[in-house]
Amino acid sequence: MLPPDWSVWDVLWRASIETLQTTVTGTFLGGLFAYPLGVLAASNWTPAWVHLPVKAVLAFIRSIPLLILALLFVSAVGLGPFPGVLAITVHSVGVLGRFVAEEIESTDPRPLQALQGTGATPIQIIQHGLIPQVLPQMVAHLAIRFEMNLRDSTILGLVGAGGLGFYVFLYVKQFQWEKTGVLCLAIVLLVFAGEFVSWQVRKRLL
Amino acid sequence: MSPEVVIRLKDVAVTAGGREILSVERLSIARGERVAFIGNSGSGKTTLMRMLKGYVVPSRGVVEVLGAPVPLGDRQRMRGYHRQIGMIHQHFDLIGRESVWQNVYHGRLGYLPFLNSLLTRFTDADLQICTQAIKEVRLEDKLHRSARTLSGGEQQRVAIARTLAQEPTIFLADEPVSSLDPALAEDILDLLVAICDAYRLTLLVSLHLPELARRYADRIIAMQGGRIIWEGLPEELSGERIQEIYGRGDHRGEENDRLERASGFHMAWQQRIQGHPVPGG
Repeated sequence: MLPPDWSVWDVLWRASIETLQTTVTGTFLGGLFAYPLGVLAASNWTPAWVHLPVKAVLAFIRSIPLLILALLFVSAVGLGPFPGVLAITVHSVGVLGRFVAEEIESTDPRPLQALQGTGATPIQIIQHGLIPQVLPQMVAHLAIRFEMNLRDSTILGLVGAGGLGFYVFLYVKQFQWEKTGVLCLAIVLLVFAGEFVSWQVRKRLL
Repeated sequence: MSPEVVIRLKDVAVTAGGREILSVERLSIARGERVAFIGNSGSGKTTLMRMLKGYVVPSRGVVEVLGAPVPLGDRQRMRGYHRQIGMIHQHFDLIGRESVWQNVYHGRLGYLPFLNSLLTRFTDADLQICTQAIKEVRLEDKLHRSARTLSGGEQQRVAIARTLAQEPTIFLADEPVSSLDPALAEDILDLLVAICDAYRLTLLVSLHLPELARRYADRIIAMQGGRIIWEGLPEELSGERIQEIYGRGDHRGEENDRLERASGFHMAWQQRIQGHPVPGG
């Protein structure tokens, strides 16, 4: 892998941006669907006929490995970053939905009942009682998910779902180790940067 | 002229886990009265308060508050009922991450129309009432501190201000000083009594220490095993009487306490969703 071949700079820059875009879009969309589903999956807020099926769907989604999801979407919508975004979105829904449900289930109900005692409606209790209690943890979970998705999206290219992984796979097949080395270094730096951002977000919130 | 009765109970019982955890034959409380409930843990003080607040559904009997039965099951009327019956708790039950100011304005949520509440938009009158409530509990200098960073006494003062902001007629205080040291406990009770006197509120307070009940109440009611076993004036609460109230091992107390806790924190909207009221509490 040495000496590194910096002529891949253009590819590296483009692929890194693509990986980052895939991660950010997938995590954002995942959160968008996961939060309402997580509320529906919380056993202390919804009746059993709602939370049990939602929990089962979330568990089913989690049981499918990310690479398999990516393969499915590549065969459904073709090569490129789009199937990567879909795979990350679906996988994040399964994981984040469960976190959200567990966060809500472990919320102290007494302050919520105190709000009910002031004459607040259920929507007011959610807005002024539940959300302030769980929002920091929910955003922290989202930050962790972002960090993990970034790591995962670097290898999604192996199945044709774009990003840095795609070029790593390409150069390995061509035995261009000096270029592969540069891309691996970029993956390490990108993952470190993701972890740093996630850590900073959580440090400020919790 | 006899004073106006604001709370009237007749042959009321609350059942949980297949047993009666509260049974009150008769109880009347007049407007402006300060009544202290004393007794061991699980004696029924909390259940009685929660029933008056409308959190617990009695299995039989008549519960009349402010001249009408508690409107259990009527969502709209229940909202108005909750506004009139303020309640503070042993563990303060504030939203810890929110500021003092935000916690106090929660007391006005019962008055806010849907859209104003969604946009957190309060009227000048709401803001004035909250400001006055914060002034009453002397927390003007800690307006923007988050509630969880305050001491226990300060948190209870925030809870009092929140309750005051909802402009109640009756003030229920369920063991408001149990988690505070003696000096702070007296501070809080002094404040509570002063506020109730100033606003002509009826105060029902449950206390573990009979000395505090003797000092702050107009009338003391002793409970044991879910029943009222004694009722009288503070000066009538003798040492032997206290011995009788607390000393006679209440073997049902612990079980009652467990049942109270097990069924105590269901929310009213959960009851509606799940289609059945909470039995006991």
